[in-house]
Amino acid sequence: MTRVVEVPATFDDRSFEQFAGAFGAWPPEEKILIDARGAQWSSPYGLLAMLTAGQALAEAKRERPLFTVPLSDDVKRYWARAGFFHYAAELFELHGKVPKAAVSGPSDVLLDVTPVRATEDVHEVVEKISQGASRILHGELGLEMKATLRFSMALSEACQNIVEHAGTSGWVAVQAYTFRRRLGRRVVVIAVSDAGIGFRRSLESTHAKRFGERWGDGTALEAALIQGVSRFRDPGRGQGLAFIKRFLDQWKGKISIRSGTARLAIVPPWDEDIPLGEHLPFFPGAQVQIIIPAQDAEAR
Amino acid sequence: MIQTIHIGHLLRETVTSPYRNLVTRPTGAAIRNRIQETMAGSDCLTALLDFSGIELLDFSCADEVVAKLLLAGGERGGRYVVLRGLREDQHEAIEHVLTHHGLAVAAVAEGEEHAQPRLLGWVTPDARAAFACVCARGALTAGELAAVLDWLVARAEAALAVLAGHRLLRAEDDRYLPLPIA
Repeated sequence: MTRVVEVPATFDDRSFEQFAGAFGAWPPEEKILIDARGAQWSSPYGLLAMLTAGQALAEAKRERPLFTVPLSDDVKRYWARAGFFHYAAELFELHGKVPKAAVSGPSDVLLDVTPVRATEDVHEVVEKISQGASRILHGELGLEMKATLRFSMALSEACQNIVEHAGTSGWVAVQAYTFRRRLGRRVVVIAVSDAGIGFRRSLESTHAKRFGERWGDGTALEAALIQGVSRFRDPGRGQGLAFIKRFLDQWKGKISIRSGTARLAIVPPWDEDIPLGEHLPFFPGAQVQIIIPAQDAEAR
Repeated sequence: MIQTIHIGHLLRETVTSPYRNLVTRPTGAAIRNRIQETMAGSDCLTALLDFSGIELLDFSCADEVVAKLLLAGGERGGRYVVLRGLREDQHEAIEHVLTHHGLAVAAVAEGEEHAQPRLLGWVTPDARAAFACVCARGALTAGELAAVLDWLVARAEAALAVLAGHRLLRAEDDRYLPLPIA
């Protein structure tokens, strides 16, 4: 038996739930076929979600999943240039012709799909992003120059969460695009995803007791993002997400974290997302999305 | 005597890469260990940590390098720590982590070692005012500080005790001196 998981035509954090729900109970017993033939567009979040699913299946020692590539040449080319197929080929049995990746990604890809396995990778990510971040954040989005450094700090802290808490490796990608439907402006989006133990399990041994029966994926996310708790006893821990929140508040940005069966978002005025979603379909690890919008003339 | 420790040099020696970004906790912990080793091999009164070779400093690294170095005060052998060459965003990261821990450190701009140092982190408003006064006027007793700021002597004593406790001023007999940094 093969279970077909259809990739949403427009794959972003909203349509993610459709993707996650298609796996059924985790890890699925059947062989998985991820069908991306109908895909028309994917955010970095969507690209990383597909890789994370492949990684989680490999780590659960399931049969190597199949992946049918998009029919659209434009979509295929874009995904190739963002580095997606390079890593997808390691995790999936690819079906369909994959274009050769360009030497460098498209100009709105600030950071190709990049694995985060160890501390050295975080250094590499910060080094790479610093080269293009100023052009996009200051030049296109109208943020102050100092925002470029804060952006790199936010990226560094988000990537470190994988190394320190996931118990396995993960992925990061950064892209700029126009958010037509929700905002009508340019945005920069950081997506970070891992197939690890998730927030609930990471915090369970040190924090579950005080929450009693309320403890779950949602409360674990609230504890980490709102209360700044960490699984480490070290009082200096838990400041990374607190900083990201403060930085985003200043720039009217948005952060959402999905882990296990819950999703928590700090929702800016321009968005209509729900702050906390619970009892969602299970998906392994943690998925973080950070959105920084172009500043309106008033804010500049 | 002042010992200058170039953090950029330590970073390049520690992570064996050409990067100028001080990021991640393991990197920060390794740099802190190198700073402590370097300080242990010197009998200078003040260690001037020079960040001028550093591009980005994230919170995790600021916590590991600066906050934990100050928290391990006993291991510094009674020496004073001053930061130099920080950029505005680096000030912000250090200010944030030190405030979180209730710590404070003095910082001077590169090439402006004779100018008044800036306090980063958390101290009481009285201690901040006393720090500025001692740095501007030189060594003062609690009575002299009280006279300058129009405070009661007990208030001046309390502010100076906070600063001496954070090792932001030097106490000699009944006088409080600015840190030797130039």
